[in-house]
Amino acid sequence: MIRTFTQDDVIRYVYHETSEEESKEIEKAMLCDAELQTMYKEISGVKNRLDAAQKAPSDMVVNNILNYSKSLNLLSNK
Amino acid sequence: MEKYKISDSKLVSLYKLGSEEAFEQLLDRHKFRVFTTIYLIVKDNYVAEDLLQETFIKAIRTIKEGRYNEEGKFLPWILRIAHNLAIDNFRKEKRYPTVILEDGSSVFNTLQFAEDSIESAQIKQDTHVKLRQLIDELPDAQREVLVMRHYMDMSFQEISENTGVSINTALGRMRYALINLRKKMKQYNIAYDQNIYPR
Repeated sequence: MIRTFTQDDVIRYVYHETSEEESKEIEKAMLCDAELQTMYKEISGVKNRLDAAQKAPSDMVVNNILNYSKSLNLLSNK
Repeated sequence: MEKYKISDSKLVSLYKLGSEEAFEQLLDRHKFRVFTTIYLIVKDNYVAEDLLQETFIKAIRTIKEGRYNEEGKFLPWILRIAHNLAIDNFRKEKRYPTVILEDGSSVFNTLQFAEDSIESAQIKQDTHVKLRQLIDELPDAQREVLVMRHYMDMSFQEISENTGVSINTALGRMRYALINLRKKMKQYNIAYDQNIYPR
């Protein structure tokens, strides 16, 4: 028998918080449940977008951090 | 989560031994996630950059002084430092509010660096900027869970422990956040890839 899954289960699945067994069951359920499959596609789509929307700091700040680290290394080598 | 050839803990060990290249790799791997987490809390680019610097300086000192806990994982640890600094700053700013523009910079920054305005106009076209604005517009409770789960990579169990709500409530907030974002993305015509198949 195929278990019934909720939207929250799909979210846990998308964020890799389901056990291997549960994941297989969700995948099986998605094959027969169009609504669940649509939910999965939409949530995964938003998740990918959130990854792509990550912001980059300026090179200046990154260099400041690297220089700070190097300056500590120089001090400890003296 | 991305998989790397050399683990973070190995890089930390190499850095302790004096390898600056190892630290550069750590910074390169995690700067986007740490910066985005801070930015989504403070909503000001310049403040977020200051806090990013502060976060990594704290991390550098902790590692160099031998106070880094080897058993923990680097990313959750540094994200926790970033989150705490951002929250402290957010609370301070609440007492002295600044006007934040659509692109996330304050009026003060725009006045001080007038040459940024052309760039800002271009950035406004960027759908990523729009998406970050949509995240900003989420109710606080939903945004908090979204940032913690998505950018800080905390489990729903950890979120529940840190925010004092049940796992189901945290999951529910995440569900509303994602559904709200999806609706708004459709409304603003922000494309998202639906051609995804089960992992």
